[in-house]
Amino acid sequence: MDFIIEGMQKAFQLILTLDSEIFNIVLLSLRVSLTAVILASLLGVYLGFLMAVKDYWGKRFSVALVNTLLALPTVVIGLIVYSLISRRGPLGVFGLLYTPSAMVVGQLILAAPIIIALTHSAVQGIDKRVRDTALTLGATDAQSAWMVIKEARYAVLAAVITGFGRVIAEVGAAMMLGGNIKGSTRVMTTAITLETAKGEFGFAIALGIILLLIAFVINILLHYFQSKRA
Amino acid sequence: MDKLILKVRNLKKVYNGKIVLDVESLNFQEGKIYAIVGPNGSGKTTLLNILNLLEKPDKGQIFFYDQEIIDKSNSDTVEIRRRMTLVDQNPFLFHSTVYDNIAYGLKVRAISSKVQQNRIKSALNMVGLPGFEDRKANQLSGGEAQRTVIARALVIKPEVLFLDEPTVNIDKKHIDVVERIIKKIKKEIKTTVIFTTHDLSQAYRLADEVISLLGGKIIKQVPENLLQGEIIREKDGLKWFKVAENIKFSVVSEKVGPAYISIDPRDIILSYKQFQSSARNSFSGKIIKIAEQNNLVKLEVDVGTPLMTIITRESFQDMNLNLRSKVYLTFKASAVKLY
Repeated sequence: MDFIIEGMQKAFQLILTLDSEIFNIVLLSLRVSLTAVILASLLGVYLGFLMAVKDYWGKRFSVALVNTLLALPTVVIGLIVYSLISRRGPLGVFGLLYTPSAMVVGQLILAAPIIIALTHSAVQGIDKRVRDTALTLGATDAQSAWMVIKEARYAVLAAVITGFGRVIAEVGAAMMLGGNIKGSTRVMTTAITLETAKGEFGFAIALGIILLLIAFVINILLHYFQSKRA
Repeated sequence: MDKLILKVRNLKKVYNGKIVLDVESLNFQEGKIYAIVGPNGSGKTTLLNILNLLEKPDKGQIFFYDQEIIDKSNSDTVEIRRRMTLVDQNPFLFHSTVYDNIAYGLKVRAISSKVQQNRIKSALNMVGLPGFEDRKANQLSGGEAQRTVIARALVIKPEVLFLDEPTVNIDKKHIDVVERIIKKIKKEIKTTVIFTTHDLSQAYRLADEVISLLGGKIIKQVPENLLQGEIIREKDGLKWFKVAENIKFSVVSEKVGPAYISIDPRDIILSYKQFQSSARNSFSGKIIKIAEQNNLVKLEVDVGTPLMTIITRESFQDMNLNLRSKVYLTFKASAVKLY
């Protein structure tokens, strides 16, 4: 039992002294996941909106596909992206494997279906009269589309935050595509895996606490935006 | 003669194989107020949506001044639509302030915020809601919301204002307010107003011209005692028009099925007692409304469905009629006009 108590003491010591290694790992995690979520949002909000308002061939299939992709295991994403960007793969010449960029790609693929699916249902829940009202007031098609997204703004923000919560906490793709290289691609989740295996509980617990704190803040934000929807 | 702002020619709209609108010719003059009346499902809303380019007709032409406006490119459609606007019967307000709602039409037209401020202020004054700028849209009452959407429409200075059932979803007090606003629009800004209603008296109170729609077609005279129901054939071969479960009129008809009928109020005889005659329809009911009109008196009698009858002032006085008096209404099967 002593090792847990010692680990906790060490963890608080590391956090309170603002240990530079810990904070570099946290910053890298945030950088990778925020980049991935911003890119996934640009793509996902757009696609989710189109899926909700446009009639096209194969619409039901695409909705089913996106919902299936919600359950995509992170190690499968790791596997697919790995095979594409490894030196022997079709995109091998770019030398992306074991870089933060590779992790961004993996996390983008993870977050995009979540943001698409949640934006789709958010926009579907918006009153049909929003678009008609905007048009009768002289809006162009693009202006009326923007108004629909604005009316769905809290639900769309909740979609983005849910996506961020998913990617900041994932470990499979980050491990396989980043390689957990110290000072380069080591993020919170991969560091916890490694330090626990090494028996460095204090370090792992410190990162675990920070990760939980981030999750807590995300949930507070999510709750705030969901209550605003009403 | 005043200029024609909108012309409709041979307009047809079909939903699921059913013709919902079939208008041969319709003209609207600049600066006048038009009321389109008709029961639910007569095509009023569809006509407004087509005129405002929200829906496409299956056939026909619409001219805005002398320009054909149906088959246009997207950008031309937006340009033309920006010269008109439509207020829906269930007004929708964006989830923000009254100010932001009214500003929307100005924003999409890239009008400077200084001009916006002034125009929003005068639009709010026009509808009698001065100082409402910072109110949250979802905290307005039904009547206030209705007036806000009218202000939102007026602020863009439309050349044609379409109002779909502007008073159907609001309380009596606000109906008067909205009617006053419509009169004010005519007097002060001379916009052409085209509104729908199923209240005939409201149509005549407000409009310069009343257009009557029935089953998607324009009918010449606005019929009174207009009823919706079904023509049925009884076992004895006689045809009846069924208005409700326990009220049916004897009619002369070749066909059966859903139909509209009207009965000229002058063809209905009013009496205290039922009497023997060749007329096949006779019903008892109570007088629910009395309105005097010059030398005539209009009486509304509830015989299970309200029916209007017109008698002379002399008869009215001789018979000593009152509200809630029990009377008989009698009319011939041939007095029932079928549509």
